[in-house]
Amino acid sequence: MVRPRWKKVLHDLWDNKARTLTVVFSIAIGVFAIGVIAGAYVIISEDLRLSYAAAAPYNVELRMADFNRELLDAVRDEEGVARAEGRRVFYARVRAAGATRWVGMDMVAFDDFQANSINLLTPLQGKATPEKRQVVLERSVLDSLSIQAGQALEVQLPDGSVRRLQVVGIVQDTAMGAGDFLALPFMYIAWETLSYLKEPEAYNRLYVTVAEQGDDIEYIRDFGARLRNTVEKRGGYVVRLRFALSNKHPLTDPVNAILGVLLALGVLIVFLSGSLIANTLAALLQQHIRHIGVIKMIGGRSEQVFGMYMTLILAFGLLALLIAIPSGGQGAYALAEFVADRMNFRLMGYRLVPTAVAIQVVLGLLIPLIAGFVPVWNGSRVTVLQAISGEMARPGRPLAKRATALDNPQPRPAEFIGRWQRMNVLLPRPFLLSLRNTFRRRARLILTLFTLSMGGAIFIAVFNVRLTLNDYMDAIARYFVADVLLDFRSPYRLREVEQVLKRVPDVLRVEGWHLVSGELLDPRGRVLENINIIAPPAYSPLIQPMLVEGRWIRADDVRKFAISETAYKYYPNLKPGDRLKIVLFGEEETWEVVGIFKFIDREGILAYAPYEYISQQVGLTQRAFVFRVATSRHDRAYQDAKAEELDAFLRAQGYHLRRAEAGQASLDLAVDSLNTIVVFLLIMAVLTAIVGSIGLTGTMSMNVMERTREIGILRAIGADDRAVSGLVLGEGVLIGLISFVFAVGLSIPITYLLATIISLTVFQTPVEVLFTVTGYVSWLGMVIGLSAVASLLPARNAARLTVREVLAYE
Amino acid sequence: MLPLLTLDHVTKMYYTEAGEFLALRGISLEVWPGEFLGIIGKSGAGKSTLLNMINGVDTLTSGEVVFRSNGQEVFVHRLSESERARWRGRALGIVHQSFQLLPMLTLLENVMLPMDLCGLYRPRTSRQRALELLRLVELEDHAHKYPTQLSGGQQQRLAIARALANDPPLLIADEPTGSLDSTTAEVIFRLFERLVQEQGKTIIMVTHDTTLIPRFSRSILLVDGMIVTENRNHAAEADRQTDRGTPPPAGSDSRGTPNGSRPAPGDGLTRPGRPA
Amino acid sequence: MNRRLEGAMALLAARPARKADSARAGEPFPMIEARRIVKVFRNAAGEFHALKGVDLTVRRGEFVAIIGKSGSGKSTLLNMITGIDHPTSGQMRVNGMDIYGSMNESQRSRWRGRNLGVVFQFFQLIPTLSLLENVMLPMDLAGVYPFEERPRRARELLAQVGLENEADKRPGLVSTGQQQAAAIARALACDPPLIVADEPTGNLDSRSAQRIIELFEELAAAGKTLVIVTHDPSMMAHARRTIVISDGELVDEAVSRALPRLSHRRMLEVSKQARRAEFNPGQVVVEVGQPVTALGIVRRGWVEAVALTEQGERVVATLGAGEMAGVSQVRRGRPAPLRLRAGQEPVEMLWLEADRAVAVLEEAGVNESG
Repeated sequence: MVRPRWKKVLHDLWDNKARTLTVVFSIAIGVFAIGVIAGAYVIISEDLRLSYAAAAPYNVELRMADFNRELLDAVRDEEGVARAEGRRVFYARVRAAGATRWVGMDMVAFDDFQANSINLLTPLQGKATPEKRQVVLERSVLDSLSIQAGQALEVQLPDGSVRRLQVVGIVQDTAMGAGDFLALPFMYIAWETLSYLKEPEAYNRLYVTVAEQGDDIEYIRDFGARLRNTVEKRGGYVVRLRFALSNKHPLTDPVNAILGVLLALGVLIVFLSGSLIANTLAALLQQHIRHIGVIKMIGGRSEQVFGMYMTLILAFGLLALLIAIPSGGQGAYALAEFVADRMNFRLMGYRLVPTAVAIQVVLGLLIPLIAGFVPVWNGSRVTVLQAISGEMARPGRPLAKRATALDNPQPRPAEFIGRWQRMNVLLPRPFLLSLRNTFRRRARLILTLFTLSMGGAIFIAVFNVRLTLNDYMDAIARYFVADVLLDFRSPYRLREVEQVLKRVPDVLRVEGWHLVSGELLDPRGRVLENINIIAPPAYSPLIQPMLVEGRWIRADDVRKFAISETAYKYYPNLKPGDRLKIVLFGEEETWEVVGIFKFIDREGILAYAPYEYISQQVGLTQRAFVFRVATSRHDRAYQDAKAEELDAFLRAQGYHLRRAEAGQASLDLAVDSLNTIVVFLLIMAVLTAIVGSIGLTGTMSMNVMERTREIGILRAIGADDRAVSGLVLGEGVLIGLISFVFAVGLSIPITYLLATIISLTVFQTPVEVLFTVTGYVSWLGMVIGLSAVASLLPARNAARLTVREVLAYE
Repeated sequence: MLPLLTLDHVTKMYYTEAGEFLALRGISLEVWPGEFLGIIGKSGAGKSTLLNMINGVDTLTSGEVVFRSNGQEVFVHRLSESERARWRGRALGIVHQSFQLLPMLTLLENVMLPMDLCGLYRPRTSRQRALELLRLVELEDHAHKYPTQLSGGQQQRLAIARALANDPPLLIADEPTGSLDSTTAEVIFRLFERLVQEQGKTIIMVTHDTTLIPRFSRSILLVDGMIVTENRNHAAEADRQTDRGTPPPAGSDSRGTPNGSRPAPGDGLTRPGRPA
Repeated sequence: MNRRLEGAMALLAARPARKADSARAGEPFPMIEARRIVKVFRNAAGEFHALKGVDLTVRRGEFVAIIGKSGSGKSTLLNMITGIDHPTSGQMRVNGMDIYGSMNESQRSRWRGRNLGVVFQFFQLIPTLSLLENVMLPMDLAGVYPFEERPRRARELLAQVGLENEADKRPGLVSTGQQQAAAIARALACDPPLIVADEPTGNLDSRSAQRIIELFEELAAAGKTLVIVTHDPSMMAHARRTIVISDGELVDEAVSRALPRLSHRRMLEVSKQARRAEFNPGQVVVEVGQPVTALGIVRRGWVEAVALTEQGERVVATLGAGEMAGVSQVRRGRPAPLRLRAGQEPVEMLWLEADRAVAVLEEAGVNESG
């Protein structure tokens, strides 16, 4: 037989299910959040690594001019090369048969799917090895193309003719495009299909894995540089080099950073739920004050009472874990799946993460015990006298002849408010009552306000952060002011293209640009990273850079460039006037930095040099492959339409156009990934808001419960349902409004914190923080709504109390 | 023989926002083993305060409360809070006007709880003992019910059984019949009389019902925190000596005492401060 | 002309008559009319009949004390009048309104705010509001009196109960007596015709209690109807009418007035055992020399004790409601020494048979001279 005192604990747990659920749920929500994030953190970092490594990713990618099998075999014999594969990758405009719009994709031709050992494809649906006139799609294709296995895909060839391929399968390619925000979706074809698409049967990409030190970026860079020499000595022309580690996904660091931010928010939620627990437990102890009195009256000691209630709290914690561990595990996996989907990697299957569970267990048991310690300590120390006379439980009771200074029922804030009593005559008494009640339980009010304000502050901050990020993206977009980008297969004269295009309505300006790429070297001459030099005409109005230091390019600059802030990664003390070594057109040169500008940390380092200089170097003065066109309208839809129009127009005129696309198209993916982050943040903000409003509901229920007597009095002197619920509602909304004021204040540092962390991880650079009223206004609306909803149920309960029940205490 | 309980010049002062209030003005009192002591007074006279001094629930302003049992003297107000709780659990059985039962425990568990807390009896023995006590108050058939399933009188009987759990020498009852109708109140009062007569318990009972005065072995009248009258009931004492074991005659209303709620000669007793 | 004058005269003449009518019409219905009110409390332990079919009529302007021991049902009865609880069966009309038949709980609260002032034993002031605000609260809730006028009215009411200097204090800062006075001021806030109080002096020292009683006395003088549950003898002394309740039933008021020292339970027994008889004006109730076999208690009307002398009949005493006849005769089995006859109004008598009456008189401590 269970001993009576533990039986009481059991009953306390079981009898008031609503209260038990409230406590358990408030513990569970924090523990759940931390479980989700910690679990996702572990799953994502493990599976990102495992799934990436499992795809046997390349260590060096060489984008080259066409080359043949001889060169490939030579590379295979090179020392340090584990495996090497050649591919042909080319741009193609495709659409589902019968659709109207063409979409740009990268077509990848394998010479032998059976021998594929680098950048392995994972079959998802149908076949993974296309035969002639068949095509296999990477899953990301489906985001922009609505097509299924078995259907026909139309490919528009550069000459305008259309070929049909049959879609036979969907695969996932976790390695090839990893970390390249600007990569197009891939489609895979067999070598035999090339001729059908009028493509030469030659390689233009070389993928190599190293035999050792696949996780040493320095080694791989050196190895890449050596490989480049070898290839070029044998007549190959390398356009670009990319490096990757064997076991580390290129986006691991930014992902971890974002998960870190979420983890911090998760910890915050745990703290908030801790304050919720403290509140609920304090109220529980208040309700139990009589029981405690009885136990003490019949010989129970404070230690025994303390033990009983700490056990009760432990039981709450265990129940919460029962909910939070499985649901946290599910949530973690769901979050990981979401991230895996966005980042195109595979999860290793559902599992509970022991580390996350351990964190949950520790927090789930410890936080309630810590949060409950003070209320239980105080509760167990209540004297029998206080308990039996119900003074602690009923602050409204006249204390005549009973009170000591210690249990003064009216906290000082209420007294303080009492000072404006004369002014109060102007307020209706029921409202005044709400006002005073609000301040009656100070500790509870503070905890409620803290939770609600934090939730609100994060909510508001998320909007500010979104604006900040979007604003930064807008600033980035000013590097891409052109509305249509034209990419020709052969160079055309500037004057000619301009004159032709001016015949198209609403073409306001045409500029020819050059793009060249090389490698940035460290002072000792080792390759650090690719450097892409964009060469617009100096003073081009189609680019508005954000300069951090120095100046922008000038027409008379010779071997001078403006370089992106990313260069700080390798040269932290870089200043205008510094000289950097680069390899350009196979030659090592020394260039002077004239300015440093802000940009996204993208594939390689970006630099700008004037067209005037570069065109001479590439031997294409007054000519260009790439043209930028400005029109009068800059919205995306118009740009798309205009690109389509120019595409048709130029092809009709017989120009060898590779592609025409909207000016903002290259920003799409970047904006997309930012939105993902903002969604995460918003989820966290909503979670904190939920914790806050649960806290408020709890507080309001407790307040109503403790004030049943007062409500009874009001009933007795003529308050109808509306008056009673209005009182409770008024108090709830008042708390909500006060929390709003705090939230506004708190949102400022939180905005700075979040914006800085996120911009550092995403842009590798701090950005200027902006504020928007949207967050403030929507939170004001939400907090009023939430607090009204949170007090609605307590208000209804209050209205349902009959006077007799209330005054039956006597 | 020494008194079971001695109160020596006990005073109690309360400090409130409305000012100081002297609730007890030097109460000296001795309670002897086997006594059935009634403390009579109007609400506000200090009855409950006095009880709180005896059971150590409230602190006193000055004076001393000494409790003697098994040859040991306990200075109640010199104990620490924890020691006092332990002492209270073993030495006193307390019965309240509002029963103060734990609603989530069965009758049996309510009676076992003090034994559980004080550790005087082993769990198995305590169950046995609890059943016996429930039998004593004629609630053994309801042992596994919950207090809310009982009538008021039954609840108070349960409270008495609980008060007896650790076999304390002294029972303290604060208006035990205050919230009961007259018939039930009579049953409860007779139960107390039986405990004195059959089990030799000492009982201190606080009440405002003056009709009960003749049935106490001794009663004191408390007015404004002072003992005004002490009234030894020789008849009741004689009763107790000659008729030990037989319950007093039924219908105590008919004993010729005036109804307490009407102006009556005895009323001078309850309101001595008032001009005639 | 003449005719017109006559008509005018008739009209004038009719006026006083109408006035008398309207005086009666001014009370078209009693303040409280309880009909067969039954209240049963049920819990797991069974049923408890707190009120067993109570009939009660309180006229306007009456000052009624309800007394009874704890558990007798007096507070339950009061809760029935205030609409705080609801009866199991029966009808309750208060101020002409069938408060249970036609309103729900919420409407009842609203109605209570405008029609009823309630005073509790434990004052029940809102601790976070000043006394002034406490008094203004019912006006706010009921929406009576213009908003700007409420503070002034509240101050006046507080002044009326002698608290003009404490108006801005919190309840916790004034004495219990002052708290109760403030509670009375609050009860008066909406100027209700009926004031109901539950042991209003139960928690007060005797001096404060006296002050509260005086306040009630003033209210009664001002024409308010007062219904007060009380233990306090001095409060009862001021009430015009005392109703005794015992075990959920009302004691016949004539019995409680005639035998005040009897225990309530016995009063109720007597009320039930007594035989009722009605007499027309002038009808002989007991003839001289007739054996007195029962104790008589006048319930309604006036009974004249007539001595038959040589000069004729002489009224030596008049017995009103609550007075007894034949106290010593019924004890000793003697014949009636005087003729008792009904006065000018119909008379209602209660007769208690001799064997019972003797014991009752003994218990009630009625001495011989009665």
